[in-house]
Amino acid sequence: MSKKLIVILFLATLVSACSTVSPGGYYWGKYSYSYHELIKNPSTKSRTAHQETLLDIIAESQEKSLRVPPGIHAELGNILAFNNQTAAAVSEFNKEVELYPESKVFIERLLSGLPKRSEET
Amino acid sequence: MKFKLIAIMAFTLLMIGCAEVETKMQAYPKMYSPTEKPVSMLVVPVINKTTAAEASDLINATLTVPFADSGYYVLPISIVSDIFKREGIVEGSQILGLPASVFKTNFGADSVLYITINKWDTNYIVIAANVTVGMSYVLVSTADNSVLWSYDQEIAVSTSPQSSGFILLDIVQTAINTALTDYIPIARQVNAAAVVTIPYGKYHPQVGQDGDMEVVLKNSREKALEQTD
Repeated sequence: MSKKLIVILFLATLVSACSTVSPGGYYWGKYSYSYHELIKNPSTKSRTAHQETLLDIIAESQEKSLRVPPGIHAELGNILAFNNQTAAAVSEFNKEVELYPESKVFIERLLSGLPKRSEET
Repeated sequence: MKFKLIAIMAFTLLMIGCAEVETKMQAYPKMYSPTEKPVSMLVVPVINKTTAAEASDLINATLTVPFADSGYYVLPISIVSDIFKREGIVEGSQILGLPASVFKTNFGADSVLYITINKWDTNYIVIAANVTVGMSYVLVSTADNSVLWSYDQEIAVSTSPQSSGFILLDIVQTAINTALTDYIPIARQVNAAAVVTIPYGKYHPQVGQDGDMEVVLKNSREKALEQTD
């Protein structure tokens, strides 16, 4: 019985340790891992995994009332654009500029590279 | 006789004292100037002077977190490196000759971060393993090409899994991390050690308040500038 409790407590510690806030006040999730995998083995699988990391970062940050870290919305937008989900990509790019106005020039460059007619696929 | 001893001791102390420590403000005054302080940072492809080909990707994947945590807007490295690739640039040395202003016009970045990996040696000793990593970081203003921040360091990091303080947790952690990702925590530690000296940026809660932190080794600040030349 008490063994079970220890296991549960231990798992709880593990889970909470996995979602800690960084010294700068951000939640980064598995960012470094999934991004490293993406550059090492670029594939649909690693891209999808990184996309999931980005979505997790956004969701967790909202839950914890934290600012979404720099570049996360932009990266998500970039993956969406790659998958031809242009309208969703534009929305993410706009969120990046809203959160970080200094990204404006860069994001405009990305927006100008998107197909002109924005249709959700 | 006694005088000679004192003289020798004083001299020794002087030699030790040569490892001059500066405050962040003394070392990097431009980082505290309201007009010159950068907000955004563009990381250009890493210059890898070692034979460890995997080192570049590892450093790349772990750069955003510590610099963003220090309060800077780091332009998304994954997108930026794709843009460079399309232009045929995969190695940092290919763009060393370009004026930094190019990155202001094309990316809207206030500053450019040049990174050189000088050393990446893995050593195995009977009971433990470690990797000695030598890195230099130079942050340049895109307004006038001046150096805003520079640091060079060599650190030895244990490649045994980072202890959480709980043995049981360590074992599980190791099981999770095994296979390909062992080097991520190491690369993370290397980058985290370097950013200790960078003045906090706009998004850090203590921006502007860290000027008198005595953490900058003058030699290390100067050495970084020699590495990139």
